[in-house]
Order: sequence, then structure tokens, then C-alpha cells
Amino acid sequence: MEFTLKTLIFYGFALLTVASGIVVVTVRNIVHAAFSLMVTLFGVAGLYVFLQADFLAATQVIVYVGGILVLILFGVMMTSGRLEMRIHIERGQLLLGAVVAIALLMLLLAVIANTPQWKNVADDGTQLQPTTESIGTLILNGQFLLPFEVVSVLLLVALIGAALISRKEVRE
Amino acid sequence: MSLQHYLVISAMLFTLGIFAVLTRRNAISILMGIELILNSCNLNFAAFSRFVTPPENIDGQIIAIFGIVLAAAEAAVFLAIILAIYREFGSIRPNEVDTLKG
Amino acid sequence: MIVPLISLILLCPLAAFAFFGLMSLARRSVPRQDYLSTAAMLFALVCSLLLLQQVVPHPEPHTVEWISIGKISFSMGFYLDSVTAIMLIVVTLVSSLVHIFSMGYMHGDPRYPRFFAFLSLFSFSMLFLVVSDNLLGIYIGWELVGLCSYLLIGFWFEKDSAANACKKAFLTTRVGDIGMFIGMMMLFTKFSTLALYGEDGIFALAANLSTGDMVWLSIAGVLIFCGAVGKSAQVPLHTWLPDAMEGPTPVSALIHAATMVAAGVYLTARMFPILTETSSLIIAYIGGITALVAATIAIVRVDIKRVLAYSTVSQLGYMMLGIGVGSYVAGLFHLTTHAFFKALLFLGSGSVIHAFHAMHAHSHDEHDAHGHAHADSDANEHTHEDGDSELVHAHGSDIPPDQDMRNMGGLRHKMPITFATMLIATLSISGVPFLFSGFWSKDAILGGVLERAMEWSSVHHYVLFGMALFAAGITAFYMFRLIFMTFFGEPRNQEMHDMAHESPKVMTVPLIVLAVLSFPVVNVLWFNDAYVTPPKQPHIHAPAHAGVFNDTKGTFSLFGVSEAVAAEEEGAHDTHADEGHHGHSPAHTIAMVLSIIVAGLGILLSWLFYHRRTLSAESVATTFRPLYHLFWRKYYFDEFYNGVLVALTVWKARLFAQFDGTVVDGIVNGIGRVTRDILAAFTGFFDNRVVDGLVNRVAQVTWAMGGRIRRIQTGAIQTYLLIVLAGIVVLILVFRAL
Repeated sequence: MEFTLKTLIFYGFALLTVASGIVVVTVRNIVHAAFSLMVTLFGVAGLYVFLQADFLAATQVIVYVGGILVLILFGVMMTSGRLEMRIHIERGQLLLGAVVAIALLMLLLAVIANTPQWKNVADDGTQLQPTTESIGTLILNGQFLLPFEVVSVLLLVALIGAALISRKEVRE
Repeated sequence: MSLQHYLVISAMLFTLGIFAVLTRRNAISILMGIELILNSCNLNFAAFSRFVTPPENIDGQIIAIFGIVLAAAEAAVFLAIILAIYREFGSIRPNEVDTLKG
Repeated sequence: MIVPLISLILLCPLAAFAFFGLMSLARRSVPRQDYLSTAAMLFALVCSLLLLQQVVPHPEPHTVEWISIGKISFSMGFYLDSVTAIMLIVVTLVSSLVHIFSMGYMHGDPRYPRFFAFLSLFSFSMLFLVVSDNLLGIYIGWELVGLCSYLLIGFWFEKDSAANACKKAFLTTRVGDIGMFIGMMMLFTKFSTLALYGEDGIFALAANLSTGDMVWLSIAGVLIFCGAVGKSAQVPLHTWLPDAMEGPTPVSALIHAATMVAAGVYLTARMFPILTETSSLIIAYIGGITALVAATIAIVRVDIKRVLAYSTVSQLGYMMLGIGVGSYVAGLFHLTTHAFFKALLFLGSGSVIHAFHAMHAHSHDEHDAHGHAHADSDANEHTHEDGDSELVHAHGSDIPPDQDMRNMGGLRHKMPITFATMLIATLSISGVPFLFSGFWSKDAILGGVLERAMEWSSVHHYVLFGMALFAAGITAFYMFRLIFMTFFGEPRNQEMHDMAHESPKVMTVPLIVLAVLSFPVVNVLWFNDAYVTPPKQPHIHAPAHAGVFNDTKGTFSLFGVSEAVAAEEEGAHDTHADEGHHGHSPAHTIAMVLSIIVAGLGILLSWLFYHRRTLSAESVATTFRPLYHLFWRKYYFDEFYNGVLVALTVWKARLFAQFDGTVVDGIVNGIGRVTRDILAAFTGFFDNRVVDGLVNRVAQVTWAMGGRIRRIQTGAIQTYLLIVLAGIVVLILVFRAL
């Protein structure tokens, strides 16, 4: 594989994503974990760019970083006092979890390595058209109209449900 | 930058998410793990869309967008539940919420 | 035309009965059941007369399938030949007259409508029996007749004697019925059918039996005849018939003339084609013995109805004798003539009794309005015992005073119509020659017996002829004794005599009708060769040395004058007088001369004893004291039954009771004790320890395991997830499809 600038940047994003992911799952302070997650999400957005999914990358940044992460931080602030910021981890559980996770990783890597259709499928460097227009056409005027409507209903339900669950119960 | 690169990154993120879900003793940390898992999925969708299907077909990206939307909804409901649990039990440690213990 | 007519004849009395039944179910009082029943019977009579013209020489049964069980099917149907037609007329006619008579006789009885309902059912049963074309139908009618006689004999069931009499009648006839049923089953087993006629009928099949089956067929025939022995009161099952006098007198007339006892004779005649030589001889002997025994008993009776009862038994014996010797026509001929004059005699005696009743009703107005149920209470006052012979009847019931001939006498001026009609009937039954129907029918039987004896040179038949002839003489004697004691001489009981009077018109009219019928009116039917053809008896063969088998009709042809008389009286009927067709049989001439002599002797003796009193009955009774006792005690039949059969049954029952009480109960109680003390204890132990132990152990194990297993349910969601993922990894590794 030719080692170009593009490749270098790709590996940089990949490293950034995985490393910050490791930080997310290992760091004790939950606020730190949250910010590390932000880095991970940015990294994923960068990888989307390499996949020429421009609209997806933008959505990732806006929704995840701008929405979900803020939501998570609100959750942290509302449920944890200053002393509760530290994440408690049990040793036995940690060991077991690590074993299972590594086994899973090995399994996945074995599958990736041993699937012949996936070998040597490289980026040929073709430049695709920007996807925003075709995504809009597909969602609002194509085969994804129905899933789009269903998802909108789902969002509404989630909105109402979240409001209902989290409100203070009125005890009589 | 072959397909396998993306898949490996995705597998790593997935494993990290699983590890977080299994080991963290804080509900919000678990939520973060879940977000990692979802991101790995979306990354897979985008990668397969780019490399396996014809380049004009961007169905995988749209599925990924739906995935992001679902993640948003899921996060909202999850946090609402966490708030309710916190009010009920005074804690969000999942091992302390064990009313169903046999 | 035949089937609708027969159906009408059957439906009329049945409808009258059903109407009563429905009304009583609805708890409505029936306004005029008597008119309804009588009208129904009269209509049936008209139908029967119409039917007489419909008979064809070779009738076919009109059959429908009734019940089908597997391959066997039972059919129900009608069979109409000349005999059936004549029987229908006899039954409907006598029944109609009895209905009319009862309207006067039973007037004022509290169960008046019920009486007519029963009469209707009785008539229906008999008609059904007569027209049935198969043994099953006959059996149904047969048992219905038995039931009705039970109901009617016990009609005044307040009287113990009546209640006992109806039970006795029912049980005694049942003894015969068992034999009949076994006989039917034998035939059914052999032929797989109960139909009598047609190609697949019993008669057609029985005609083809080989000689090897003769013993079997004889037994079947005798067994069926057993039923007739019960119903027609033949020796030794005759004892119920005299006791049946406890019923109202019209019922006696019906039973004796047209229905109950006629059923037996009719059945025997119907089964005529399957009789073998052996069974025929048995039937003939039983008939002959019955005729003689009953006649001798009748000599000494003093109860007017019982004299008639024994005379019926005797005459039924004649009929059986006639059928037994192959004189089919003669037997049935006697059945019809007897039906009329015996109905007349009974209704006449009823008229006499009614006359005395009326007196009782007058003198005892206060205690009994209708004047029947009091008979018992008054009995003791009026019965004067005969000194050395304790006048006790079978069940200790004394003779009701209004039926005791010793209270009567000189009634002929008081009751001229009753006297005249009864005298005609008596002349008929006694066999006074030429003018009266009874002479012809009785003589036909006597002639038939003698003819068979001469043809076959058979000692048996000579003996039978002697018995029949002797019985004929005795019949004449006791019947005139009845007439002399009742209607002639001086009144013996002045008080009763003064009160006696002639019966009302509704009672005398039937008497007059029956009196007319006692002249040889009906004979014309039997004289007509073309009309009644006796069925063939394939299993009876004349001995080789004897002459050609001649049926008994020769006797009628012999006396052309009788046919002329009959033709004159009947008028419209065209009789085919064919003298010489059968040849003149000397047997009939001899029989006729002898029977005239014997009857004359009987009447003469009776006149000497009971009218002129030149001879004293008492002195004769004293001279032949053992014989007198034998007759008075009715050959000790009742004593035998009471002393031996009843005692044996009671003894056997006691024995069985003892056996039950000690052995069976002992075994049962012993088993019970063993079960309770040993088995129950063991099973109780087993239940408590083994079964309960098992159940408890299972529960404990489950409990303990549940306690352990529930720890898996930690409630910690991460643990679950961990296990699930570990499981997934393991599963993929194990079943990897890579």
C-alpha cells in the first residue's frame, strides 16, 4: 500500500478514534470519559469523510457531538454529585468483562480476516458526487419515505415517553 | 484504506463498547459504551455502502443516518429512565438496582 | 280396501281408549265414555261386516318392516283370510253387545268411564291379535289381552277376592306364556323369522322340514300350545278362569266368549300347519281331559257364574280336541257358536244377578249406592252351608248371595226375556239337535274325533271320543240343572224373589240379539266350502291302511237340511250346497246319533233330579261321597297348587333367604372385614409412607433446588449480559460456519 498523506491522515483518524475509545472505557472520571467520547465521535466523523459520506459525517457531528453528548453531560450533572464523579469498577467483573471482550474481538478479527469477499477491496480513489441531494431524494421521494415517517413517529414517541418517565411523580 | 481497515476499527470500537457495558458501574458510562457500539455499527454500514455495493448506491449511508436518529432517541429515553431510577433508588449504580434479584 | 278397513277396525277401539287416557291425563272427567266406546265398537263391527266380502281364496299378508336388527328384521302386518274375517265379526259383535249391556249393568259405578276404556283396550288387543300375520304381533296382542283381563278382573279391586283373582289370572297365564315364548324362540332360531305366511314364512319353511326334525317341531308346537293352555284355561292351568268371575259380569262374558280364552284357541288354530302327529295328540288329550274334568266339576257348583265358568273351560276343551284331531274347521266353528251362546249365558246370568242387586240396593240404600262392593259384607248372612261339605272356595271367598243358585228359583215369571234367551242358549250348549248352533259345532267335533279314530284305527282317538261324548252328556245335565234351579220350581228365598224384576231394555236387547245368533245363523259361513279352507298339515299323514284323509266338512254336507235352514235364515247368502262332494262318512252319522242320545239322557236326568225331584241329588251325593268331594273340591287343583307349588316356592324362598343370610352375607361381611382390617391397614401404611413420602420428597427436592438455582437470578443486568455474550462467543466457536 502506498504511504501517502491521505493514508497518513486516515491512520491518524483511526488511531485517534480507537485511542479515545480506550480512554472512554478505562478512565475513572465520568466527565473525562464524556469528553473522550466526544473525541471518538469526531474521529468516526472523520472516517465517514474518508468513506465519501459527507452528509453522514455532518450529521454525526451535529447530532452526536451537538446533541447526544450534551444530553449525556446533562445526565451526569443531574445524577452525580461531585463525589460520585468517579466510576466504581469491581475487579472480578473487570476481569471477566475483559476476557469476554477480548474473546469477542478475536472472533471478529478472525471473521474479518477469513472472509474472502472482503479481502483486497481497496479504495480506488474515484470521487463520488456529494450525497446530500440523493439522500434527500431517497428519503422524501423514494423507497425510504415510509421508514422516514416511522422514525419521525418514533422520535415523537421517545420525546413524549422521556418527558413522561422523567417528570416528578405526583403522589397523592 | 481497504474495507478491512474500517472493519477492524469498527470491531475495536464494538469491543470497547461491550467492555464498557460489561464492567462500568455507572449507568451513564454504560450509555457511553452503547454509543460506541452504535458508532461501530454505523461505521460498518458506511464502509459496506462504499466498498461492497455499487458506488451510486448509498442505502447504507441512509441506514446509518437512521441509526444516528435512533441513537438520539435511545439516549433521550435512557437518560429519562436513569433520572427516574435515581429518584427511586438514590443511585444509578446498576448493581444496586436489584429488585428482581432471585 | 282391505288394509284401510282393518286399520279402521283396529283404530276405533284404540282411539276410544286413547281418548280416555288423554282426558284422564289432562285430569278432565270424560263425559260419555260409554257412548264413545260403544259407537267405536259398532263402527268396527260394520267394518268387519264389510270386510267379509273382501276375503279372497288365497290371501297374501299385508306387511311392512317394523324393526331391523342386523340381518334380522321383524315385520308387522295384517293377514286376512276367512277365519280372520269371521273372528273379527265375532269379536266386534260380542264386544259391541257387551258394551251395550254394560251401559245398564255398570250404571252408577264410580269408575264407570274407566270400565269402558278398559273394554275398548281389551277389544283392540284381541283384534290386533286376530289380524296379525306374524308371531311377534300375535304375542304383543296376546300379552295386551292378558293385561286387560288383569285390569278388568280386578276392576273392583277393593274386594280382596277380586284383587287375588286378577293376580291369579295374570300369574297362571304367565306360566303358559313362558312356554309359548320358548316355543316362539325355537321357531325363530330355526327359521330366523317370526312371519307366518309367505314364501319365507314359518309355514312354508316348516313344510319342507325333514322327518328328522319332527321331534323338534313337536316340542316347539307343544310349547306354543302351552300359551294356549294358559290363556284358554286348559287343564292344568284352568284354575284362574273360575276365579276370574270376581270381575264384573260383562267382563266375564267378554273374556269367556270373544277375547281372552278365544285367543288361545285361535292361536292353536293359527299354528295348525306346524302341528305334528305327536303334538296334535297331546293337544287332543289335553282338550279331552279338560272337557271331562271341567264338566264334572260344574255339576256340583252352586254359584251360577262358576257353573258357567266351568262350562266354558269344558267347551274350550272341546275346541282344542277338535283342532287336535285335525278338525280345524270344527274347532273354530265351535269357537264362534260358543262365543255367542256363552256370551248370552253370561249376560243372562248378569241380568239375574242385577235383578238381585237392585233388591240389595233397595234394602241397603244407606250403605252402598251402586251395590257391588257390599257383596263381601253380606256374604256371611246369606250363605247357608251344606253341612258336611264346607262350602269354601279356592281363596276362602264365600259365594255372594246374589249369585247363589240356591237362593233362586221360579224366576221365569219374573224375568221372562232373560229366561227365554237363556233357555235358548242352554239348548244350544246342551246339543239339542238341529235347531241350535251348538249342536252342529259340537257334533262336528265329535264326528271329527270318531272319524279320525275309525280311519286310523287309533285307540287314542276312540278313548278321546268316549271322553268327549261323556262330557257332552254331563254338559247337558248341569246346564239344565242351572235352568231348573234358577227359573223353575218354587222361590227358595221369598224376600229376594219378591224384589227381583226384569232388567232394563239396554240389557235385554243384547240378550235377544245373542239369542237369535244362537240359532244356526253363523253356520252358513262355515258350511261354505269355498269360504273356509283348512290349511294343509304337511306333517300329519294317515296310516297306510286307513282310508283317504277326509276333512270334517263331510258332516255338514251330510245333512243338507242344515244348510237349507241356514240359507233360509241368513237369506242373502248364497250357499253352495254340494251334497256328496265329500262322500258320506259313517263316522259322523254314528257320532250324531250318539250325541243326541247322550244329550237327551243328560236333560232327562237333570229333569228328574231338579224338577220332578223323583231322584234326590243329596242321596246320590251321599252314596258317591268320595266322588262328590272330588268334584266339589275341583279335583284338588287349587289345593295342590297351594299345598305343593306355593308351599314349595315359599320353602325354597326361605331356604334361599337362609342361604343369603348366612352364606352370602357371611362371605360378603367376611370379605368386608378382611378388607377393612388387613388390606385397608396395609394400603393406609403404603399411602402414608410410600406415596406421601414420594410426594413430599419430590417437593423437598424441588424446594432445595429452587433455593440454589434462584441465586443465578442476581438482578444485576450486567451479569446477564456477560453470560449472554459469553454464550454467544461459545456458540459461534462451537457451530462456526466459517
